[in-house]
Amino acid sequence: MKMMLKVFVIVLLMGLLASCSTAYKSPEGEAGTDLPAGQPLPGPDAGYYPGSGYGQGTGASSYPYEQQGNAPGGRPLDGAVANSDRVVYFDFDSADIRSDSRPIVEVQARYLIKNPAAATVLEGHADERGTREYNIALGERRANAVRQLMIAYGVSPQQIRTLSYGEERPAVDGHDESAYALNRRVEIVY
Amino acid sequence: MNPILPIVLFLSLLFSVGGVQGEELTIEITRGVADSASPIAVVPFGTQMPVTEDMAGIIAGDLKRSGRFEVPSPQSYPQRPSELSQVNFSDWRSVQVDHLVVGQIRPGPGGDDTVQFQLANIFDGKPLLERSYNVHPQQLRRLAHVISDLIYQTLTGEPGAFDSRIAYVTANRGPGGTDYALMVADSDGYNPQVVLRSREPLMSPAWSPDGNRLAYVSFEGRHMQIVVQDIYSGARSVVASFPGINGAPAWSPNGQRLAFALSRDGNPEIYVYNLTGGGLLRVTNNSAIDTEPAWTPDGNNILFTSDRGGSPQIYEVSAAGGQPRRLTFEGDYNARPSVSSDGRYMAMVQRRGGVFYIAVQDLQNGQVRLLSEGGLDESPSFAPNGRMVIYATSEGRGRGVLAAVSVDGRVRQRLQLRSSDVREPAWSPLGR
Repeated sequence: MKMMLKVFVIVLLMGLLASCSTAYKSPEGEAGTDLPAGQPLPGPDAGYYPGSGYGQGTGASSYPYEQQGNAPGGRPLDGAVANSDRVVYFDFDSADIRSDSRPIVEVQARYLIKNPAAATVLEGHADERGTREYNIALGERRANAVRQLMIAYGVSPQQIRTLSYGEERPAVDGHDESAYALNRRVEIVY
Repeated sequence: MNPILPIVLFLSLLFSVGGVQGEELTIEITRGVADSASPIAVVPFGTQMPVTEDMAGIIAGDLKRSGRFEVPSPQSYPQRPSELSQVNFSDWRSVQVDHLVVGQIRPGPGGDDTVQFQLANIFDGKPLLERSYNVHPQQLRRLAHVISDLIYQTLTGEPGAFDSRIAYVTANRGPGGTDYALMVADSDGYNPQVVLRSREPLMSPAWSPDGNRLAYVSFEGRHMQIVVQDIYSGARSVVASFPGINGAPAWSPNGQRLAFALSRDGNPEIYVYNLTGGGLLRVTNNSAIDTEPAWTPDGNNILFTSDRGGSPQIYEVSAAGGQPRRLTFEGDYNARPSVSSDGRYMAMVQRRGGVFYIAVQDLQNGQVRLLSEGGLDESPSFAPNGRMVIYATSEGRGRGVLAAVSVDGRVRQRLQLRSSDVREPAWSPLGR
């Protein structure tokens, strides 16, 4: 009986873990939940040199940025979606989705509706003009515009998280309008 | 003779041996000194010892960078006295300086160095200032900045800001991605130390008023969050990690509250978080973007950027919440306010004709003056004495460099790294 209970608990835990994996999960396995305020991060260890001028914290989050093409849990994306366009571009100082970009969002929305266990991160970006924190806000506006359109297509809000990088992660270097046009974007990341 | 500061210097020594060095910022003065610059001679300090630091050179560099002083080359000096009793003042008339600094370094107690210096008026030879210190040899550079501050204050009547530091972010784009680092260096670019390295962007460093901690934005684990880090122990804690934006941290002047922007309610709003008792107060309530808070020195009000009027402009609101008041009216883009410690001036980013400048607005009469040459200028931060503004700009091929400009616009310097992109400078409070 005791044994049965143990097995039951383990099965229950495994079920919980499996359901967790649909949350926004980084490869390190950190679920995308709020950290409570004041929670200490990993202290100085590997990056810390005793007697250093300043205690060096470890911001060692080595998330490989180009983590695309796989659904959560490592399942390959549908062929059509895996090869599809997943970047939406925007006009200067605008968060309006151009009509020619709507099909891009629609394809991804259809995928998410068909795969309710899948989740996406909509990464909003801005060009380098303007202040950095204001550009974070502009990037979020763009990500929210894509989110709203996905929800309008019928995607559950639970499948979508937005994250703005502002001007911090340009797609291309360069300081002219052609570079800026490629940097004002939302990337639909799985 | 008045030996001051040994305790403070000792404390900082504990944390400054064999640091994790980064690449040094090099400083180049790109716009000349003010017409009113006062000529002063700083004689190389006399010593019989092998001394690692050129004290007089550091002091001369500080005074020159302020734009308030001119320092003739030591080669033009008629003699090399190390104390006032050795000075033949009639010989110094040909050098045409108003003031003279002499000093010496000799072995002190317990392995320390004893440093003595004197400042005199050249006309009557009267000493205006004299001090003696016992410091660890590794503190000589810092002591030189302390001496620069004393000289500056004695001759201008205003506090100096040489014994202060600058936090900034570097980015190195490589084939495998970009490496970001949060750095702290002395105000003259020396002694750069790594506070944090990350493969994810780091943003918006802000000093605690005691100069011991930095608040900044991190994207670790692909979540935007606000982190507070003790720069000496390395201890870090997350203060905000809500869904959406967690950005633009700013310490209240007493260090007990942190203002920042959160979008957890749908769009970015200004919040004030009480670091001692917890508790989060929403200060703004508007469907527009509200971000980039900056405190007034009395801790009563917060300046912030908002596009509630259609374009980004700067507003002021009570830190307890209430009706914001618009502060900027020139131009279609005014953002990222920074307030001088006396509350008189606000530095900001202003767009004119598609070009981004650093501008300073007199908060008493509303007058606005452009301080920078224009480009992609951003992130202005006042020196703790309010006389200079440091900001980020870009050189020819778009690489980020730092620049500092006097509030009157007369003196400008460029601070750059050989290879990395440098951005988001934040000038520390005085001392450390």
